Amino acid sequence: MFVSDFRKEFYEVVQNQRVLLFVASDVDALCACKILQALFQCDHVQYTLVPVSGWQELETAFLEHKEQFHYFILINCGANVDLLDILQPDEDAIFFVCDTHRPVNVVNVYNDTQIKLLIKQDDDLEVPAYDDIFRDEEEGEEHSGNESDNGSEPSVKRTRLEEEIVAQTMKRRQRREWEARRRDILFDYEQYEYHGTSSAMVMFDLAWMMSKDLNDMLWWAIVGLTDQWVQDKITQMKYVTDIGILQRHVSRHNHRNEDEENSLSVDCTRISFDLPLKQVKQKFQSMDVSLKENLREMIEESANKFGMKDMRVQTFSIHFGFKHKFLASDVVFATMSLMESPEKDGSGTDNFIQALDSLSRSNLDKLYHGLELAKKQLRATQQTIASCLCTNLVISQGPFLYCSLMEGTPDIVLFSKPASLSLLSRHLLKSFVCSTKNRRCKLLPLVMAAPLSVEQGTVTVVGIPPETDSSDRKNFFGRAFEKAAEGTNSRTLHNHFDLSVIELKAEDRSKFLDALVSLLS
Amino acid sequence: MFCEKAMELVRELHRAPEGQLPAFNEDGLRQVLEEMKALYEQNQSDVNEVKSGGQSDLIPTIKFRHCSLLRNRRCTVAYLYDRLLRIRALRWEYGSILPNALRFHMSAEEMEWFNHYKKSLATYMRSLGGDGGLDITQDMKPPKSLYIEVRCLKDYGEFEVDDGTSVLLKKNSQHFLPRWKCEQLVRQGILEHVLS
Repeated sequence: MFVSDFRKEFYEVVQNQRVLLFVASDVDALCACKILQALFQCDHVQYTLVPVSGWQELETAFLEHKEQFHYFILINCGANVDLLDILQPDEDAIFFVCDTHRPVNVVNVYNDTQIKLLIKQDDDLEVPAYDDIFRDEEEGEEHSGNESDNGSEPSVKRTRLEEEIVAQTMKRRQRREWEARRRDILFDYEQYEYHGTSSAMVMFDLAWMMSKDLNDMLWWAIVGLTDQWVQDKITQMKYVTDIGILQRHVSRHNHRNEDEENSLSVDCTRISFDLPLKQVKQKFQSMDVSLKENLREMIEESANKFGMKDMRVQTFSIHFGFKHKFLASDVVFATMSLMESPEKDGSGTDNFIQALDSLSRSNLDKLYHGLELAKKQLRATQQTIASCLCTNLVISQGPFLYCSLMEGTPDIVLFSKPASLSLLSRHLLKSFVCSTKNRRCKLLPLVMAAPLSVEQGTVTVVGIPPETDSSDRKNFFGRAFEKAAEGTNSRTLHNHFDLSVIELKAEDRSKFLDALVSLLS
Repeated sequence: MFCEKAMELVRELHRAPEGQLPAFNEDGLRQVLEEMKALYEQNQSDVNEVKSGGQSDLIPTIKFRHCSLLRNRRCTVAYLYDRLLRIRALRWEYGSILPNALRFHMSAEEMEWFNHYKKSLATYMRSLGGDGGLDITQDMKPPKSLYIEVRCLKDYGEFEVDDGTSVLLKKNSQHFLPRWKCEQLVRQGILEHVLS
């Protein structure tokens, strides 16, 4: 069920309990987690934090911890599947789910006791009505009445029997129709994946409602929202609306000309590149003053030369003291790179911890490290895109475009994780659309594959919706991948919370692709 | 020279850094007591001689031996008393159960004294702070916060918290727990205090 009063039905319920936090591995989840941690520390709520990067980890961690806790909070995972079915919890376990993944699974919506959704209902949810999906089991089959009537007149009995048969047939037919309609409704509802309001913003809203919001929390909310924009998870319009909401909070917290050590300011001219032009090697702050001032004109000139339209976007920056100034999107890239850096040991939790730490104000050195990694990542992305376009690696399979990175491509290890690969794919698609002459190809979505593990022979496959101006960012590849895998018995692993990212055995690649082509034609 | 042994006892304790309890030097103590006994007996016989014979040139020797006896006594008492003070500090450092190594360093009487002290302290603590008593051996300095955020550095397993329930300590999981519960594990290096 949807929680209406976050404070009464969520915060005050868990305030005197010990809770278990499951946090997914994306920047928005990290930011939401930081805000919630700050609130819990302020109110002395004992919690345990467990990072999870996929469904398997979630299940394992849940099994390990289920004896010790009654209250579980899931951040950016769990809304789009039948949680009770997957986790099989005890009856007194209560789950609070704060997740941007949509569509919200209908079981989660209509369960009144154990699942509480921390999701604002003014998000465009379009949940099907209860009666269209659930139907109480009516015990029909009243044959027992007939057998006992041996003594009555045969003709009356026969008529009654006929009537009963007719009634049964009608009921059965109605049931079949209802079930067919139900299948259609559910299919339409669950066909496209998309994302709702940032979890970090939801948490900040809770803090604000309780008048416990701080500047730091506001910054995390901004970073969470910016992460959604950087990863193209929300539409442009939604981003602008949400920025407006945050802008009001910023003005409330940070007055102009106030001599504070840290302040947030709105930076209206943030420039984004489709084809990254050149990497500024020096640190921005040590550049020549005149160069800095002319930077804007220089970039605009270059933009016009390349024929790019107005690229300005509203975002935020933050000052820590005199020296440290960061842009929200830079922080997003830094944190993402920290989280997905190729690590030495097996578990991804070390990276999660590093990334979580880097969001704290006292760990700026980690943030700088993340920025260096992010710069490397962006450079590698640019070079890979350039080489893909030069060598025509992007080919049309009919209903979609396909590109596969080969083992041995430089920096290939940077692209095996979902967020990095998605970023690469999106920019590749944008560049491809700009550079191709084929009109039909401009409207196609992209499927991208990159090697994941050489020993196990697996590749990561992501599906990206087509690149259009008015895109609603809805992605049908989740379901498409599932069906294609089922149909061909390919060995796939749908472990990521984003269903449009899967792992696949390299040997099954071609039959999987063929199935996908025929499915989508 | 007389009193050498007693000086050695004192020097041994002086050399041990604060907070450490060296082994109980039973041998040294016995030797000092034997020396004292010998001096006393010699004095005893000399005093009898002086009393009966009236030879007053033994009196300086007697006086000298008497001073040695006093010195020996002073040194042994200082030795024993300093050890007791150290044992008392152990209770505040380690709690009511001492590590085995330290227990072997104590004599039987010292052990008995320690138990008496423990009981005394426990009775006192129970009399404070209402029903449950107050454990004053926790938090020697006023704590900044009642709860701290800790991160688990190694897999530890289940760890019991307040009301009988337990927490699973897995590598890289973070927890927000009462400070006094975590202190021991932080000292052992299993948990790391996270300053945010």
